[in-house]
Amino acid sequence: MIKQTKIWKFFSSIKLAIWLLAIIAIFSLIGTFIPQGQEPAEYTSHYGSSAYNLLNITGLTHVYSSWWFILSLALLTLNLSVCLINRFSLKPILLGTMISHFSVLLIFAGALVGMFFGEKGYVQIKEGESISSFISENKKVDLGFTLRLDDFIYEEEISPKEKLLIYSHEDNKLLKEVAVSLGKEISFGEGYKVKIMRFIPDFSMDLTTKEVVSRSSEPRNPAIEIELKDREGNAKTFWVFANFPDMHSVQTDFRFVYQWGMRRPKDFISKVTVLKGAEEVAKKDIKVNFPLKFNGYSFFQSSYDRENLSWSGLQINKDPGVSVVYTGFLLLLLGLSIIFYVNPLVRRKK
Amino acid sequence: MNMLSLYLNIAFAAYFAAMIFYFANLFFKNKAISYLARLSIILGVLTLTIYIALRGLAAGRPPLSNMFESLVVFALAIGLTGIFIDLKYNLKNINALVSLMGLLSLGAASLLDKEIVPLMPALKSNWLTIHVLTCFVGYASLTVGFVTSLVLVFSKRSSEQLDTISYKMIAFGFLFLTLGIITGAVWANSAWGTYWSWDPKETWSLITWIVYAIYLHMRLRAGWRGKKAAWLSVIGFLAMLFTYFGVNYLLSGLHSYAS
Repeated sequence: MIKQTKIWKFFSSIKLAIWLLAIIAIFSLIGTFIPQGQEPAEYTSHYGSSAYNLLNITGLTHVYSSWWFILSLALLTLNLSVCLINRFSLKPILLGTMISHFSVLLIFAGALVGMFFGEKGYVQIKEGESISSFISENKKVDLGFTLRLDDFIYEEEISPKEKLLIYSHEDNKLLKEVAVSLGKEISFGEGYKVKIMRFIPDFSMDLTTKEVVSRSSEPRNPAIEIELKDREGNAKTFWVFANFPDMHSVQTDFRFVYQWGMRRPKDFISKVTVLKGAEEVAKKDIKVNFPLKFNGYSFFQSSYDRENLSWSGLQINKDPGVSVVYTGFLLLLLGLSIIFYVNPLVRRKK
Repeated sequence: MNMLSLYLNIAFAAYFAAMIFYFANLFFKNKAISYLARLSIILGVLTLTIYIALRGLAAGRPPLSNMFESLVVFALAIGLTGIFIDLKYNLKNINALVSLMGLLSLGAASLLDKEIVPLMPALKSNWLTIHVLTCFVGYASLTVGFVTSLVLVFSKRSSEQLDTISYKMIAFGFLFLTLGIITGAVWANSAWGTYWSWDPKETWSLITWIVYAIYLHMRLRAGWRGKKAAWLSVIGFLAMLFTYFGVNYLLSGLHSYAS
């Protein structure tokens, strides 16, 4: 029998649990209204420097890792543990309560395992290059294998608003609307054919080589290259610009308008190869929602080179606490279901 | 597209008719009126279901990706809960307010852009459907719990039946809120490698969860009933509303695509 000291009684009270829950809710709430974990400059520009100092000292810039937040969680854990020990029972009617409260402790325990034994980092890999280690909390972690980025692909969703419009020069009549897909020959007018050859998001010309390049992958100056064939099959190619509708490099009987529609990201794909020594062990496409899992490490698509699409940013993660947390999740659902839907049946039988 | 809007408009009219008939039923106890009310809400739920299914077919993806689509699903879940209340408890007075909530949700949806846009990469996952549906089943149940509590708070007589219904709605809603948070956590872990990152939406869902956890403890352990418990349910509902709307429009974070 446990000695019911004053402290024990204090920590076994439901009143304490309610107060702690309320306090944790209020602390959490504060953290959603003050931006968390930003650079000092952001706070000083937003709140002023003296207010920033105050926020920094009190821990309000990192509420969820502040000592007072951790303390409130620790007290709740203690409270919950004492309550569980005090009321421990194998009576069927208390089973749901036991399971659901134990599950919360299990979730906390899993989170602690992740905090102490987990590894987390971020790498940027250039196309063609590889990594075999990363930095987790200022410590270098060796993966034990090598990850090579073969290719990074950024796919866009073309909006139906994005079109090539062809007008006749004479009467300004709309002759044809062409969807922007590359390499498709489309007939229009009397025996004319048009084909979209290339798309460049940020058109620019290298003045020395006269070569067309894209300054970035952002659509700052979208342009398409068009091939126009007449009845006799004579072809002309030229560029049409979304931002400069009347600038054609070649005279034709038609007016071409490149109507721009905002493109949306469709997929970010990192094509990678896992190597052990020189041997290729696995090939995989890492996409958002589809990480690569290898030897306990997971690699998540997390950012990319917006200018030249030359590198990919991957989040690397190893969290041995996840299975503990997930067990907690399942037990919590089980416990709640028992409390709400089995207990009333048990009571009714009596 | 016009065909699609038609179903949404019929649903809107049906929810409106349901509200009128349920309110009328408060004053005129008439069998015909109560049947018409039941018929209207069932019609509303059916047309909304058709609308959502057709929209999903047109979009080639689950139609659960932005505020407009979620409001329509919310209205559907509220309507379904209303039908359950009507059939199971043969209770009409609560349903006047329940159909009003569904109508408000559809009304808010009608103010937003209906355009079907492709899914962004972060949402391309099977977890999208299960996460959104569990959340909105929970939200709808908690909303009905709130409406019931509101009646308890403002009525002079206490009603044991309403008290029990509000508890049952909140218990079911709490279970699904828990499921919603858990599916969100599992999805986050499979997409970003972390099941919890104190993003405002996550944090507010936890705050909502805590308020309802307090409600359940006060009810089951401290014996709170009637008005006292009802007030807690009102607070919980306000937290839920903030989780749903406030976070999207007032705070920024991982769920910002939802606005």
